[in-house]
Amino acid sequence: MSGGSIAAARRPSAGLDQQKVVLALLLAVVSVLVLGPVLLLIRTSLAPSEAMPLETLEFTLKNYVQLLQSPRTLSLVWNTAVYALSSMTMGVAIATAIAWCTERTDMPGRILVRILMFAWMMVPALVVGFGWILLLNPGNGALNVMFRELFGFLQPILTIYSFWSLIIVTSFAVVPTAFVMISGLLRNMDPNLELAARVHGGGSWATLTRVTLPLLTPGLFSIGIYMFMAVVQAFDLPLIIGLSADVPVLSTRVYLLSSPDNGLPNYGLASAFGVLLLVVAGGLMWAYMRATRLGERFRVVTGKAFRPKRIRLGRWRFAALGFTFGYCAVMMLPLLILIWVSLQPSYTTPSLSALGGLSFDIYRRVLTNPMISRAVLNTVILVVSSATIVMLISCLIGWFTVRSNSRAGKILDALSFLPMAIPPIVLVLAILLLYLNTPLYGTVWILVLGHVTIYIAFGVRTMSSALIQIHKELGDAALISGASWLTSLRKVTFPLVWPQILNGWLWVFAHSARDLTVPLMLMSTGNLVAASTLWNLWQFPDLPGAAALAVLLMAALLAVVVPTQLYVARRLER
Amino acid sequence: MDGKPEIPMLLIENLVKSYPGQHGQDAMLALRDVSFKVEEGSFFTLLGPSGCGKTTTLQCIAGLENPDTGVIQMGDRAVFSSRENLLVPANRRELGMVFQSYAIWPHMSVFDNVAFPLIYGVKRAPSHEVRPRVLKALEMVELGHLADRPAPLLSGGQQQRVALARALVHEPRLLLLDEPLSNLDAKLRDTMRTEIRNLVKSLGITTLFVTHDQVEAIGMSDQIVLMKAGKIVQQGSPRDIYLRPNSVFTADFMGRSNLLPGVLEAGGSTGRAQTAIGPISGVAGPELAPGAQVMVVVRPQAILVAPATEASGPNRFKARVDAMTFLGDVVETEVEVGGRKLTLMLDPYTALSVGHELVLELPPERCVIVPADEPASSGSLK
Repeated sequence: MSGGSIAAARRPSAGLDQQKVVLALLLAVVSVLVLGPVLLLIRTSLAPSEAMPLETLEFTLKNYVQLLQSPRTLSLVWNTAVYALSSMTMGVAIATAIAWCTERTDMPGRILVRILMFAWMMVPALVVGFGWILLLNPGNGALNVMFRELFGFLQPILTIYSFWSLIIVTSFAVVPTAFVMISGLLRNMDPNLELAARVHGGGSWATLTRVTLPLLTPGLFSIGIYMFMAVVQAFDLPLIIGLSADVPVLSTRVYLLSSPDNGLPNYGLASAFGVLLLVVAGGLMWAYMRATRLGERFRVVTGKAFRPKRIRLGRWRFAALGFTFGYCAVMMLPLLILIWVSLQPSYTTPSLSALGGLSFDIYRRVLTNPMISRAVLNTVILVVSSATIVMLISCLIGWFTVRSNSRAGKILDALSFLPMAIPPIVLVLAILLLYLNTPLYGTVWILVLGHVTIYIAFGVRTMSSALIQIHKELGDAALISGASWLTSLRKVTFPLVWPQILNGWLWVFAHSARDLTVPLMLMSTGNLVAASTLWNLWQFPDLPGAAALAVLLMAALLAVVVPTQLYVARRLER
Repeated sequence: MDGKPEIPMLLIENLVKSYPGQHGQDAMLALRDVSFKVEEGSFFTLLGPSGCGKTTTLQCIAGLENPDTGVIQMGDRAVFSSRENLLVPANRRELGMVFQSYAIWPHMSVFDNVAFPLIYGVKRAPSHEVRPRVLKALEMVELGHLADRPAPLLSGGQQQRVALARALVHEPRLLLLDEPLSNLDAKLRDTMRTEIRNLVKSLGITTLFVTHDQVEAIGMSDQIVLMKAGKIVQQGSPRDIYLRPNSVFTADFMGRSNLLPGVLEAGGSTGRAQTAIGPISGVAGPELAPGAQVMVVVRPQAILVAPATEASGPNRFKARVDAMTFLGDVVETEVEVGGRKLTLMLDPYTALSVGHELVLELPPERCVIVPADEPASSGSLK
């Protein structure tokens, strides 16, 4: 790699040393992972649409012309913008209200809310989406059936297949992540600033509107951009709800062009849309970086744990409780219906009379199905390898990001951050193009490759903010003691941040298990995992089977993630 | 110092180090042509204000930073040479180092901290020797009884002793101390100052000490290098540097001084300068020629009170007491001489009080004449 020679030219040295070898290896790996697919994506977008990638020398702007001339493009962009903006606004508003109640008031049940929010972050959007469809589909959605029986409506009053339903379901789904970010923001705010307002005569309302909110505005703004970006990149919900509702967005358009129900994939046009989405996401990323101004990176260091004075809600506590637990109850509904459906031998809407038919038959059927057992094994391989590889690479890159001033280190930092601005659907399309004709395609390892690429930016961010808090002299002391660089990392630096490593590993583990984008885009008979099997069962349709698998997936995730996270949180507090 | 036949323990030649400029600024020159040598067994101090390059020099010697050009040689072995394109990494330099933060690893016990160089270092000890050697090193710093304690449960002073034991356990040829006393409280600092010096002297280990505190430097060192803006300003024994400063900067940094601007009339060790309060005889640096703008440096402790009857004569001046501050062991006294103020120290039993007239004597051997203009010291490189 070019980076290695830059480092060599800057420092006189006798031969190769460990740092240089590792740096060169990391640069090579990250370039192959990130740059390779992106360059091929751009290349394919400039190739004739009927040609296979890597098999033509022709350059043409035809795809872009087609993209720009089509009247549908404008409506796609419009749909995406409306979808992302409305979902983000609603989600952030709900999350802010709940976070304020749990962090700044004496509302009871605060800890329960926090635990629920953390647990929901692990629940796959796919599963939530299926749950909502079971509840609200116009034909036999459980809630619609119930309303019909109770009030005698002839028409279904609610439908999941509308733009508004998509927005509401998505906004509910972004609340947990936004809640975690906003409560962190509230916790890091010095309560003395609020106290000062009170001391100088400001009332509760004046303090909230003139001090607290203005202080939070920059933070909320950057969280808003982040969530907006997340919704623009979202794929699962627009796929399962949006397509039936006839609300295509950019991400689902890329998917349909590259994996059409009938006909040949149009990789050229798909790539052109991919590049368009890439540009949009890149712009948002830039805006996000400007809004946070690297504050994200250093906030951890200055972030002191404050003990804010809690506001006494008095009579308002019932309103706060009602709102918070109302949200929680609504979030429970899709999970409850899935459990219900999974316990019925054939699809039945909930009723007292059906209670007698409850059985675990479906679970037995699902667990003994060889295709599903295979998928479970693949899932374990996928999530464990992705999480381990991501954290291994991230620890090393994180070290270079924090400790190295060389240009090669900076290039590495930038390269590993790049996937943050690449929507997963675009990245998977690019990976598909690059590996289509290699033996890797069709195995579970291509999925590992995809997840490593997607989650590496998160891993590096986690590790560099953990490592920046470790005094440089701790590692230096090991070197001076005569230990090699790798020994100093193995024995001193990384053991000091292992709770953060474990935390990052868990995050990748959970996200890798819940992601549908990569397994679906790269699906073949050999690499089915839980998420793609779930999709297949749903499409088949085998609703009870899909529900049982969804429940199993959720249970497994929660069983691994929640106890470990509680353990890590306790370690970190010490 | 020069002309000794044996090879110095540490030789630094023409060290230059720059840091790339941030945000479009020019590159920073942290070290500009630094050279010195350290004799075997000596306690050698790099002294200077923050940003003078002393820590950078130490980091270059340790191998934690790499200089742009120059030579670093330890005994007969070069560890860095830009000419030969040679760089020995930090872990192969066989050093011991006490860091400013002590860098005690919090996830290990005291024993594991100290054993680290013997287990993972370049000079590994056979496993049956590890325990006795670690315990011996801990005894040396009087912490033998704390071997099994987890490191986070140590006090600041204990942490420093552990750091010292860890730096010495593998018997390095050179011990580096990076402001090891700056995080201790004042009383502990005084104790540790003597203790560290006695320990390294009894082991005969060559020690390179970095500090910004001139009291520490004077009290502990055999040799001091005073640095400013990446350059060596003066090198010598503590006595030399304190009593014979070669610049306004040294005079000011090493302690309080009266500074009297003037013009040199005669150079050499029996020089003379014309100042606002009259001619003053003193010792001028050899580089100064008559006519040069100079500064006469007189320490407050150098000024004597002469009997009032001997008001005339060389370096004698009539003065009046302006202000007195009783400090216990001395009385800091401000006097007015020919429109200028001078500070001197009187003994606490003095009969003088504010308003008294007196005659000052500035013994010529105690008056040091240095160049008036500061050497250019901008930190940026074009």
